[in-house]
Amino acid sequence: MKLNNRILLPSIAVLLGLVMIFPIYLLVISSLRSETNVFDFNLLPTGFEFSNFTEAWIGSGLPRSIANSFIVSATVTAVAMIFHAMSGYALARFRFPGKAIMFAWMLSTLMVPFAVIMIPLYLITKNLGLANSYAGLIIPSIFNAYGIFLFRQFYMDFPKELEEAGYMEGLSLSGAFFRLALPLSVPIMVPLTIGFFLTNWNAYMWPLIITQDEKLWVVQQRLAHLVGGGYFTPWNVVLAAAVIVAVPTFILFFVAQKYLVEGIKMSGIK
Amino acid sequence: MGKSWKTVGFALLTMMLLLQVACGNSNNGGEQTGNKAADSGQTADAGKKVKLKFWDFHSEKEEEFFRGLVEEYNKTQDNVVIEYSTFNQTDYTTTKLPTGFASGEGPDIYMISPGDFMKFSKSGLMADLSSYFPEGAKEDFLPASLDAVTVDGKILALPYELELLGLYYNEQMLKDAGVEVPKTWDELYAASKKLTTDKVSGLILPPDKGPYFNFIWYPFLWQQGGDVLNDEGTASTFNTPETAKALDFWGRFFKEGISPTKLQQGPWEIDHIGKKTAAMQIVGTWAINRAEEVFGDVPINVAPLPIPEGGKAATDAGGWKFAVNGKSKHVDEAAKFIMWAFAGDPERALEWCTEIKFAYSPRKSVVEKGNEVYNKGMRKVFTEQIYDSAIPEPRYPSEVLDVVGDAMQYVMFGKTDGAGAAQQVDGKINEAIQAANK
Amino acid sequence: MTPKRISDRTRNEWVTAYAFLLPNTLGLLTFVFIPIVYAFYVSLHDWNALSPKVFSGFANYKELLRDQLWWNSVLKTLLFTVIYVPSLYVLSLGSALLLNALKGRLVGPVRTMFLMPFAITSIISAIIGMYMLDPRNGVINHLLGFAGIGPQQFLGSTSQAMLSIIGVILWINIGYNMIIFLSAIKEIPRDYYEAAQIDGATGWKAFRWITFPLLAETSTFILIVTMIGSFQAFDQIVVMTKGGPANATEVSVLYIFKQGFELLNMGYASALAFVLFLIIFCLSIIQLKLLSLRK
Repeated sequence: MKLNNRILLPSIAVLLGLVMIFPIYLLVISSLRSETNVFDFNLLPTGFEFSNFTEAWIGSGLPRSIANSFIVSATVTAVAMIFHAMSGYALARFRFPGKAIMFAWMLSTLMVPFAVIMIPLYLITKNLGLANSYAGLIIPSIFNAYGIFLFRQFYMDFPKELEEAGYMEGLSLSGAFFRLALPLSVPIMVPLTIGFFLTNWNAYMWPLIITQDEKLWVVQQRLAHLVGGGYFTPWNVVLAAAVIVAVPTFILFFVAQKYLVEGIKMSGIK
Repeated sequence: MGKSWKTVGFALLTMMLLLQVACGNSNNGGEQTGNKAADSGQTADAGKKVKLKFWDFHSEKEEEFFRGLVEEYNKTQDNVVIEYSTFNQTDYTTTKLPTGFASGEGPDIYMISPGDFMKFSKSGLMADLSSYFPEGAKEDFLPASLDAVTVDGKILALPYELELLGLYYNEQMLKDAGVEVPKTWDELYAASKKLTTDKVSGLILPPDKGPYFNFIWYPFLWQQGGDVLNDEGTASTFNTPETAKALDFWGRFFKEGISPTKLQQGPWEIDHIGKKTAAMQIVGTWAINRAEEVFGDVPINVAPLPIPEGGKAATDAGGWKFAVNGKSKHVDEAAKFIMWAFAGDPERALEWCTEIKFAYSPRKSVVEKGNEVYNKGMRKVFTEQIYDSAIPEPRYPSEVLDVVGDAMQYVMFGKTDGAGAAQQVDGKINEAIQAANK
Repeated sequence: MTPKRISDRTRNEWVTAYAFLLPNTLGLLTFVFIPIVYAFYVSLHDWNALSPKVFSGFANYKELLRDQLWWNSVLKTLLFTVIYVPSLYVLSLGSALLLNALKGRLVGPVRTMFLMPFAITSIISAIIGMYMLDPRNGVINHLLGFAGIGPQQFLGSTSQAMLSIIGVILWINIGYNMIIFLSAIKEIPRDYYEAAQIDGATGWKAFRWITFPLLAETSTFILIVTMIGSFQAFDQIVVMTKGGPANATEVSVLYIFKQGFELLNMGYASALAFVLFLIIFCLSIIQLKLLSLRK
């Protein structure tokens, strides 16, 4: 039993961990192989064709689509943080008629699969004059009950005393939120920001439907174009492009892993 | 009390701000559709140029060609600006065109495949081009190529390439295995079986459903005199022994592991032979340039498609066509562009068919002009042995394409045999035809 | 009748609350709720998106009742759910227990390794999946070769394609759920285990009688979220198989997408979408009831 805990358990854990990251490792080493060697079976790096990366970067419109994804993800995230915090706070703190219904209704929107609404959503967005624009990419992506739900959870556990003191000082209800609660919401905001950013970086279907102009393509579209488009798909370039697209999220992952983990934990409580 | 109203104001203000920022963005990003009112208002500045949207699915070298074409044309025009966008081929046919047209934001100029032809022509999305052909140009086109795009006497698209299918093979591999170039179905089966090893596929056929899947299969049906629909296109002729035989023959390659059911690269790419992961492959004329340029050191050759005992030679003549959106406000301008591109000066058509890719031009003058190219290497095989057996790819409604694809897959994956699949699908084809002709 | 008695403070609270909820309410109405209603409206029409709509009553709903491909897709969706949800549950709970048992310096790196695939986007995971699962040259078949197993078709096989896709989706999602379980396990007071140890309950018994029951809420949460997610799996399927081979991976969402955008049967696709929505909605209500019962 002792032996198990000292040696066997850690070995299994490390082994499984390696299994988990193996595909990522393979992606990276394979993206450095030449076109003819890309499918070679070798678990060690066998080539350093950095030209794959220049090819993926220069010929493909990848830089523009990366910029687009940044613009869209950052804007959606920033606006969503404010709106969702407001709603979450209202649902956690205030007593008002229709609160339960409101909350249930918002939560119920989580259960609507995108496929159900994709056709009418497209038409509505288009009728608002937002088709084929950054606005069309951004605005419909902001509203998401998940963020509201998590903010609500956060504010439920948030000590009331602070705001009570604020009211004594003459702060209004909204003042107490914006001046006291919101600035202290960093613990939820950071992980949620990461989560929202990742989600929007990941977006594929909606951008595909709503943008026609190639200049508006987001990064996942570009990647799918590389893997499924045209007459010829060089796998080494596809893999290199995939690595490039993975870099920002991995930087985020390593820099802010602590907060990411915090965010995930929060999302699971209760 | 008053303070809480401030909050309402704040919320509304944020919403408005957001919308304004958003609209501002749309002016930058989506110039072409973002703000129509502003466009027409800016006449003094931007002139009274008509903007035309041109959507395409080509990539790489071919994309460059069309970009160049558009640039060249724009330079010569004072009143027209064409804006070119290209998409992933799957996205292009499955989402871009339908969503674009459905919302009235579709292109003025686009590429159409036979699979979409019926759907779009019935909805008025293909303008009659008959009157735009330059003088004498219509006569220059092969009659069959124009027939394939003519409905009720109206020419609804401009064909600009004819792509024929052939059996490509690696000469060395065949020689090493002691196999002759197959001429019959039995020989094709025996040869590909013999050539299959754990590293090499005997024969590459497309495994995934879609227009290309059907496109490659039709010749097997036609070689026996079978067809999907009757000559009038009003009823299914699918439930026949010929269909069953063609399906069973096709399915056998997959069931016995001769043809992979999943490919690393598109089945239309010659890379399978080029990278020596396959000995034979049924592909079209477009593969020649790449075979020569990229895989020059691989002994690739091509032969006519093998035929069954007692059958006749048949191959598919595919190729995309140019179409003009019939609902566009600028049909004239759009039609002029495509005529300029492929019905006028034969040089552009020649460049497309011989330099950018290899295909036959539907225009006799272009083929004559490119005589030298059409008789070079593998091209000679197409010109001399395959060209005459070409049948234009049929323009079936997409529902028909879909169910025929189902039948092929049922047999490939052993759900039923050819006869069973033919029978199962027959009724569905009739239903689809009736729905489409409604 | 109490309007008079509503204090300023209360009214103030109402107004502030509504104001705070306004942007999201408008947004959710416009971009989620109205589309559902509109989908229902469209579903009552025969509409190819290009010509004007023609009202057709419930014809689309009658048609879907006898549409084999639709029911096939519903079956595939359920198949996906039935395999994916328990697998994810067991694997992420298992990983969490494993990580919980670890001590010392290894914990951080191992956790990082498990969570890393979470930073991969769905399209990238699909690309990696296609690359590794290639029947002829893929790494997985090479590795299976060492174990004496012949090459498998994976995405090209009607029986393995769904499992392959599930594998890829599991891979990027285990870490996330593992973290949730892990934090819930950490919250279980240590003295429970100490008390159990005195009674001789360790290992499996401790898990069975302490850990597992105390994870009930977390489990319910994960099962709900995973289940809803499993009805929406799409990106990987589109890139990896497009529903093939022979419709083996054609889940409902994909079938609706094809009916809508490939065949342009917008009315019919909306009817299918609406039915799918009803199915999911009913399941969600049941789950929410269960959740509130536990609370």
